[in-house]
Amino acid sequence: MTDKPLALIAELTHRCPLRCVYCSNPLELAGRKQELSTAEWVSIFEQAAAMGIMHAHFTGGEPLLRDDVVELVSAARKSGLYVNLITSGVGLSEGKLSKLVHAGLDHIQLSFQDFDEEAAAEISGVRVLAKKREAARLIRQTNLAFTVNLVVHRKNLDRLEELIAFAEGLGPQRIEIANVQYYGWAMENRSSLLPTREQVERSVEVLNRRKLAPHKNIAIDFVTPDYYGKYPKPCMGGWGRRLMLIDPAGRAMPCHAAAVIPNITFDNVRDKQLRWMWAESAAFQMFRGTEWMQEPCKTCPKQEHDFGGCRCQALLLAGDASAADPVCTLSNKRPLVDSVLQITNAVKESPPPHLPRTLPLIYRSNPS
Amino acid sequence: MIITDGAQPRLARGCRFGADDTLLVPEGVLRLKGTGAEILKRCDGTRTLGEIVGEMREQFVGMVESDVEEFLRKLNERGVVEW
Ligand code: SF4
Ligand code: SF4
Repeated sequence: MTDKPLALIAELTHRCPLRCVYCSNPLELAGRKQELSTAEWVSIFEQAAAMGIMHAHFTGGEPLLRDDVVELVSAARKSGLYVNLITSGVGLSEGKLSKLVHAGLDHIQLSFQDFDEEAAAEISGVRVLAKKREAARLIRQTNLAFTVNLVVHRKNLDRLEELIAFAEGLGPQRIEIANVQYYGWAMENRSSLLPTREQVERSVEVLNRRKLAPHKNIAIDFVTPDYYGKYPKPCMGGWGRRLMLIDPAGRAMPCHAAAVIPNITFDNVRDKQLRWMWAESAAFQMFRGTEWMQEPCKTCPKQEHDFGGCRCQALLLAGDASAADPVCTLSNKRPLVDSVLQITNAVKESPPPHLPRTLPLIYRSNPS
Repeated sequence: MIITDGAQPRLARGCRFGADDTLLVPEGVLRLKGTGAEILKRCDGTRTLGEIVGEMREQFVGMVESDVEEFLRKLNERGVVEW
């Protein structure tokens, strides 16, 4: 099962024109000077394809900030990879888009914060809604497969129906609605972003209603909020099992948040081959399979299903990366999650999105 | 979605063939088995369902129309084939 990853996540840069409060990038961002060169990325794609990896997801930061992004799409595609570009849409001109299409881009994911300019700007720290709408219009004119991403949280979940209608109007084939995952910058803003139980329940109803009326030919994927689950999700499909992430500075990681784990060392594409890092490196071995597990995971029948959940969440919430993910109701650390939920739900009303908020949000910074 | 004899199925956006009888789709990879790959290769947006069934029956003994229809309907539900 672990002979090769299914997909490569290529974090081309940490630079970004947006400063989203829910950004999952690490607090310590890689600067421009540390970024891999074009040739280094090209070699990564060739190695990945040779290993049998099928998909490359270009992400960041904002991948369009790499001057060589068209060249990189072309190189990845030529190696035989399926290329997906995850973008904020800022910097996507008509000319750039057409070059990307000619370079062989297969799929584009465009993220939106909201349909309301003020509400969107409160989350992303910049006013870019018009640019994003324009990006959607341009994408629709091409033959690219198009997914709209929407991140949901306490400040917009009450408007889920309107958000879906807005996303549908942008003309994608697929909509991905994801609850914020609390790592990186999002963790810093958790008390402002974590939705209430009532909001979560209503959002599930909204989605169930839409499922019953699949009137439009648009698929919706919904990522539920971890904290309200009974069991964790199989984070990254299991550690070192399906995905390999290369960060802007060339570090090979099993997931984007893994750097928070103490005593972990990542090998770098500048020194080692992808194939070796996947099979042998300490970082990928660390939590692979079930050997590393403690109770209750160690003897749990679900261990091959969720692989004990998220290692980074275990570290962030329980202070132990090899503990069961504390969102698991079988974990003795679950009270840590429950107490966070209790505080969240004690605040009866979520503040209306347009009124001044009480808690200051922390915006993502930008690397030099 | 119902498929009629005159429908001209084609791969949906973002779906294309990869190496070794795989179909690359936005969310991942489908491994095509046996006749599945043969049916899909004929979904070029110009052949009609009737023509595809005809070709398949010529090449594969025992293949019936409903097998092809069922296969395409399933892939249509997954957003992989359109007509
Ligand atoms: S979440 Fe926002 S700030 Fe972070 S990389 Fe994406 S667009 Fe940029
Ligand atoms: S005990 Fe561990 S393996 Fe079992 S459901 Fe909880 S997190 Fe998953």
